[in-house]
Amino acid sequence: MADRMRKAAIVALGLLWLTPVYLMLANAAKTDEQYGLVSVWQAVGFDGLWQNMLAAWERGRISEGIASTALYSVASPGLAVLVGAAAGFAIVALRLKHGFVWFSVIFSSTVFPIQMVLMPLFIGYVEADLYDTRAGMILIYTAISVPFSAFVMRNFFSGIARHVFEAAVMDGAATWQIFWRIYLPMSGSALVAIFVLQATFIWNDLLLGLTLTQSTETRPVMTALSALQSTYGGSTMPTVLAGGLIVSIPTIALFLIMQRSFTRGLALGQF
Amino acid sequence: MTLTTPAANPVTATAEDAAAVRRRPDTYRWSSRAFALPGLLVVAVMLYLPFLWTAYLSFTEFNGLGDPEWVGLAKYREMFADAGFLGSLGNTLLWVVGTLVLPVGLGLLIAVLAHGIKGSFWYRLPFLLPYAISGVAVGVIWTFILQTGGALSEALTFLHLPGQDLRWLLDAPLNTIVMIVAATWQGAGVNALLFGIGLQSIPKEPIEAARMDGASGWTMFRHVTWPMLAPLTTVVVGLSIVGSLKTFDIIWAMTKGGPGRSSETLALTMYKETFVSNDYGLGAAVAIFLTVITVAASLLYLRRQLSDAKEL
Amino acid sequence: MRKALSLTAAAAAVALVLAGCSGGDDADDAPGDTAAAAAGETTVDFYTDKAAWEPSFDAMNGSSAEEGLELAFTGYSDATAYDAFIKQAFRTDRVPDLFTWHTGGQLAELVEQGLVAETSDLWAEAEANGDVPAGLIDNYTYDGKQYCVPLNVAYWAMYYNTAVFEELGLEVPTTWEELMTVADTLVANGKVPFHQMNIIFEFVWFQAMLAGNDPDVYQGIATGDADYTDPAVVEVMEQWQDMLEKGYFIDPGVSTDPQTLLSTGEVAMAYFGSFFTGQLTAIGAESGSDYGIFTIPNMNPDVEQKQMILETGPLCVGAGSANEQAALDYSAWWMTEAAQSAWTAERGDVSFNAKAPLSDPELSALVEEVSSGDYQVQMRYLEAAPLPVYTLSTEIFGDFVTNHPDPMPGLERLQAEAEAYWAEQD
Repeated sequence: MADRMRKAAIVALGLLWLTPVYLMLANAAKTDEQYGLVSVWQAVGFDGLWQNMLAAWERGRISEGIASTALYSVASPGLAVLVGAAAGFAIVALRLKHGFVWFSVIFSSTVFPIQMVLMPLFIGYVEADLYDTRAGMILIYTAISVPFSAFVMRNFFSGIARHVFEAAVMDGAATWQIFWRIYLPMSGSALVAIFVLQATFIWNDLLLGLTLTQSTETRPVMTALSALQSTYGGSTMPTVLAGGLIVSIPTIALFLIMQRSFTRGLALGQF
Repeated sequence: MTLTTPAANPVTATAEDAAAVRRRPDTYRWSSRAFALPGLLVVAVMLYLPFLWTAYLSFTEFNGLGDPEWVGLAKYREMFADAGFLGSLGNTLLWVVGTLVLPVGLGLLIAVLAHGIKGSFWYRLPFLLPYAISGVAVGVIWTFILQTGGALSEALTFLHLPGQDLRWLLDAPLNTIVMIVAATWQGAGVNALLFGIGLQSIPKEPIEAARMDGASGWTMFRHVTWPMLAPLTTVVVGLSIVGSLKTFDIIWAMTKGGPGRSSETLALTMYKETFVSNDYGLGAAVAIFLTVITVAASLLYLRRQLSDAKEL
Repeated sequence: MRKALSLTAAAAAVALVLAGCSGGDDADDAPGDTAAAAAGETTVDFYTDKAAWEPSFDAMNGSSAEEGLELAFTGYSDATAYDAFIKQAFRTDRVPDLFTWHTGGQLAELVEQGLVAETSDLWAEAEANGDVPAGLIDNYTYDGKQYCVPLNVAYWAMYYNTAVFEELGLEVPTTWEELMTVADTLVANGKVPFHQMNIIFEFVWFQAMLAGNDPDVYQGIATGDADYTDPAVVEVMEQWQDMLEKGYFIDPGVSTDPQTLLSTGEVAMAYFGSFFTGQLTAIGAESGSDYGIFTIPNMNPDVEQKQMILETGPLCVGAGSANEQAALDYSAWWMTEAAQSAWTAERGDVSFNAKAPLSDPELSALVEEVSSGDYQVQMRYLEAAPLPVYTLSTEIFGDFVTNHPDPMPGLERLQAEAEAYWAEQD
């Protein structure tokens, strides 16, 4: 009985949660004329959807941004996962002196608001010739993903019994072998969890892309997409929404595909 | 190979382990540094250096052109004397409290409701979707839900519920509250996921024992479940505090801190002073102030929680 | 999970290799350049915060190609990020070749620091050719010299929905009293007379009413010769408050696009710059049949000349930029009849160049009215007011539009800010 009530409650909540998504879909599917005429709640079929998506694709120049954004969303979390795990390994398994202090240093950097680092980074990048380069973007995206990764991995590794490490040492393994062949494989799911969350975050980034890139080859997809909304004659609401839909598809797909590992990973990446 | 031990039962050190450590105190000195170095380096260069530059700027007068001019503590004094500063601080606190109540509280509720139900991932999916949707779209959707006469007002009118005439985004503190709701929509799902995992890993024995003692429902939750969720709660609360203090995109997309400055938070004040008023020194002072609060709060909270749980 | 791990490692490795290969993106040797250079064409790096205008600028490349010039477009969708980017770019060796900016105090800032190229010669020629209207040059003159050229101009006028007017038998008002009567009729019939915003364009009603109440005071608050607490200004605020309380304006919380609001008749009238025509056309509204334009009458019937608020945005050349001369050449070309004709055809907006043909009937009528009637042209408030005062005004007017409180405290704060600014200037 209580179970059924719980199910009903969560289904009701879930439906409530989906209403903004419904609004987004319903209005992305309207043509410009229809949008002004009917209430936003009313769905009028899918006439406009394809048209709006095409318009958003072209005007938002989504095709150009996707390749770069995909690169950033795969490379940076990938690197961050390794770097964070290494730091966690150092602190927990290798007992880095003043480990908590160094951990705090890494983790505290997550506190810095991105807006604060924008301008100094811009100047620094131009001077270092990293401005408007893919390497530069991968670097900054990795940097902002490392704190969370270190945090999760440090916690995960501290759940691994000490004698695992001791036994490996007695077997004659070098530290990097222990890291690469024992600790990392054991934490596969946690790595996936971090990867999925950070990849989503980077995929949706706007400000860093806007400030640190300029040419279409390096610009992430959100910068062009948000131009659709500009006050100086941007596109209409249905088109903007359709654009938002298109760029959300990869991240939603990522969640769905990785869901099992993701859930397991966070379970084992226990805190 | 041995199993990993869930950290909910944190005692992993045995006398043997401790002895092993004592035997080899410094063996990993260099390798530990080598492993930690990339992480520290990338964070130091990419994030701490800009932070230091901002700290420097907070003592200068600078408008983006020309060179910064040293003015000592003048910008900090200006910041505290600013008429809107108190309001901004108040809104920031409202966000912190609101984020703890709503996204965290609701996340917990959803996790509890979904716990143990078969196929719980699918029940939780609607709550996870918002995180995956791009920020551009989220701002747009919520603006047209909350605009005067927008989707929410229409729905309330249709359902004959009160509140149809409320100007959601125009009147403070209502505008801050509805934006927290929008942020909840985006963030509760991830919290629910984390709490769900915590719930799953609570061992069965204490629950069974308590049930046999006659505990159930709320008592069970309060005395058994909740304490065992503590490590996870720490993480969720810690991340929420930091996240809520940093919140920018949603507010900027929906009200830009307005009307006037009624929905402005410290993160917005920092941005506006720097990029709109071009008073980089003042913006930097606000940024440093915000950072100091956030670091202090989160470290104090985390240190207390984490050092009980781990042997470091 | 080994597989996931190796995949990640492989991905990272591939990424680094790729990044290394495309690391040369910062140099401007895009493939198009070599071809262009071979064809005798120079590519000028162009930046703007009007990212949505990219198609129009690309179309202009078709015409400018004849001059051997082409623009490489970089658009920013966030105006504040753009402003910060341009200013910081001057500190590096990536000085922008050509970029859009804002007239008024913001341009003055750049001129003071010597960051933009002088264009006095270009203006002399343009004026000799009759490419620019009299008086426009004042917006671009500092210390007797000119900087930048006009990107565009916009006349601020009242757009109205013809269907709503017809339905209620309303005539286009020619005096302020008539305008108020029209508003009353609309309210009585359950319609919303005017559009307004509490962000971005929160100041526009203030500017229209003050210029029409006392043009000297309007100019005075821009130069520090008049106070925000002057009776003329207070009158305007009180009138504005009265109109707000009578329900003449749409609730500023409605953030639907203004063009949609006007075309569906949700607001009967909207006070906007002539760029609004482009936005209306984009949603299929037809000039003349779906909507019309009239100039807003003076609030004070005793003011002799009719007032017209003119907005103009500059096209600037970065001093010391890599393609400075080419950018200057482009600027010179931009003012010619050929270029401006292409531009008006592209955007459907007015041009500062009177020789460029204007096909839109309402806009042509507007331009004719302004040039033939007895009009005094004023600078838009946003550009005229000193920057710190304008920034404060966004807060004050934004709040006024939303809550219409007692205006005096707000006016006093604006005056205090203005006084502080002018004191610094001396």
